[in-house]
Amino acid sequence: MSEKKLGEHIITVDNVSKTFTGGIQAVKNFSTKIRRSEVLVIMGPSGSGKSTLLRCLNGLEEPDSGTIIIDGIPLDDDKRHRLEIRKEVGMVFQQFNLFPHLTALENVNLAQIRVRKKSKKEATEMSMDMLTKVGIAEKAHCYPAQLSGGQQQRVAIARALAMMPKVMLFDEPTSALDPEMINEVLDVMKNLAREGMTMVVVTHEMGFAREVSDWVIFMDDGQIVETGTVEHFFKNPREERTKLFLSQIL
Amino acid sequence: MEVREKVKPKYSFFKNFILFQPPWRDIIQFLLLAGFFGWLIYLSSTRLEYKWQWYRIPKYVFQIKDGHLVAGRLIQGLLFTFKISGVSLIFTFIFGLGTALLRLSGSFTGRLLSRLYLELIRNTPLLVQIYLIYFVLGPIIGLDRYMSAVLALSLFEGAYSSEIFRAGIVSIHKGQWEAAYSLGLSGFDMYRDIILPQATRRILPPLTSQVITLIKDSALVSLVALSDLTLEAKILASDTFLTFEIWFTAAAIYLVVTVTLSTIVSLMEKRFQIRT
Ligand SMILES: Nc1ncnc2c1ncn2[C@@H]1O[C@H](COP(=O)(O)OP(=O)(O)OP(=O)(O)O)[C@@H](O)[C@H]1O
Ligand SMILES: [Mg+2]
Repeated sequence: MSEKKLGEHIITVDNVSKTFTGGIQAVKNFSTKIRRSEVLVIMGPSGSGKSTLLRCLNGLEEPDSGTIIIDGIPLDDDKRHRLEIRKEVGMVFQQFNLFPHLTALENVNLAQIRVRKKSKKEATEMSMDMLTKVGIAEKAHCYPAQLSGGQQQRVAIARALAMMPKVMLFDEPTSALDPEMINEVLDVMKNLAREGMTMVVVTHEMGFAREVSDWVIFMDDGQIVETGTVEHFFKNPREERTKLFLSQIL
Repeated sequence: MEVREKVKPKYSFFKNFILFQPPWRDIIQFLLLAGFFGWLIYLSSTRLEYKWQWYRIPKYVFQIKDGHLVAGRLIQGLLFTFKISGVSLIFTFIFGLGTALLRLSGSFTGRLLSRLYLELIRNTPLLVQIYLIYFVLGPIIGLDRYMSAVLALSLFEGAYSSEIFRAGIVSIHKGQWEAAYSLGLSGFDMYRDIILPQATRRILPPLTSQVITLIKDSALVSLVALSDLTLEAKILASDTFLTFEIWFTAAAIYLVVTVTLSTIVSLMEKRFQIRT
């Protein structure tokens, strides 16, 4: 499938646990390693802790224990480390979360200007490149409310990409979309995967997983139940829970 | 959306009578109300044997001097009201926003401080606060009459507006914070570029009524002998004995200012809404 070269480990998750106030343990002693240019798909039933795990990876949630290292930087209490990781890790949300008072172009420009300290001109150049890449350059001056869900999600991807992240996290990026818009977003993500972006994607889109993922984690109840390639999951899943889940989504 | 049952209305003479339908209904209601107030004024002036002398009023509003139109005493008072309200407004927003941010901050001391300030201000009368600052605090830290009044007004209105700011900030969807966070924006940039611009649009209506309240409350500074519209009216009323005319005029001036203000803001809101 892929001729791309996988590099050294860029994300190391070691024994991470997260319990929410109220006692729900969303992630339990989770460990994994992800290589540069790898595309990892995470699947699992609702409430299994997929979002929580993903959100731990860029510091949106604070794990209670365990360590996370991204591109050599530990995600610890040091504010500089956290900022560095926020800059290097792009996140795409289920609900897009575009800034509604800014145009598509301004959405993509903002962090480049404020965080990367670029001039408006430089930022705009980069933004237009990214908007072109996601196929939506002609909507640069539209406000989010004037865009369809699929278009909004593509702008959100462009916004994350414009920061030149080393890792991209996607949390169910297509599950808030109408069916006819899912593919336009998945196509953008597939291209990104082929270009060698390191991606961690929570999704149940099997077509996407089949085409570009290097491996899949099936998690339930905050833990890894089974890992393997997509082929493995299709042909001979080991665990009963995995079989049950796959029979429900396929 | 509200679901209304479709019941066939019963025929009613009153509901179908032309004068009980809009616009006649509204016109009649208005006239009745106006008539009632007119009667009230008539009654009070005849009972008091009041002689209306409206012709003496215009010169207190505007005067012609050497062919130039100059402000009369009431308008001079109004200009001072504008000035002290304007300056207080700036500090009101500083105190209000600052307190809101402190209350939402992670600092225990910050939250305690802002709570203390809020409770203190909201549970004592503004008049007492003005006197306290003017007679006690002012001399201690060397504030003159004017600055004491500005401080008192903006501390008072700041406490109330901080609740408005806070409500606006917490009304912004969690996803906005998270998107800003994951792009690496600093807390300052997050507030400046993402949160406050959106919050401001939402809180514009309550913030306007706070500004209007500020203008009205500024009348209390007349009690520390600052010559605003209210003090000018008070002096004129006692000098000229035109009590009714002067106070009606002063009230009308306040009304024109506040109604103009809320009209401007509701126009602004309409323009904002186009985008969001
Ligand atoms: N902020 C929170 N406070 C308390 N509990 C939470 C919080 N966020 C998530 N949880 C709980 O943690 C568990 C895992 O949630 P999480 O959102 O990570 O699951 P998920 O696998 O992403 O589910 P879904 O497929 O529905 O998005 C759930 O039981 C959820 O109720
Ligand atoms: Mg989720």
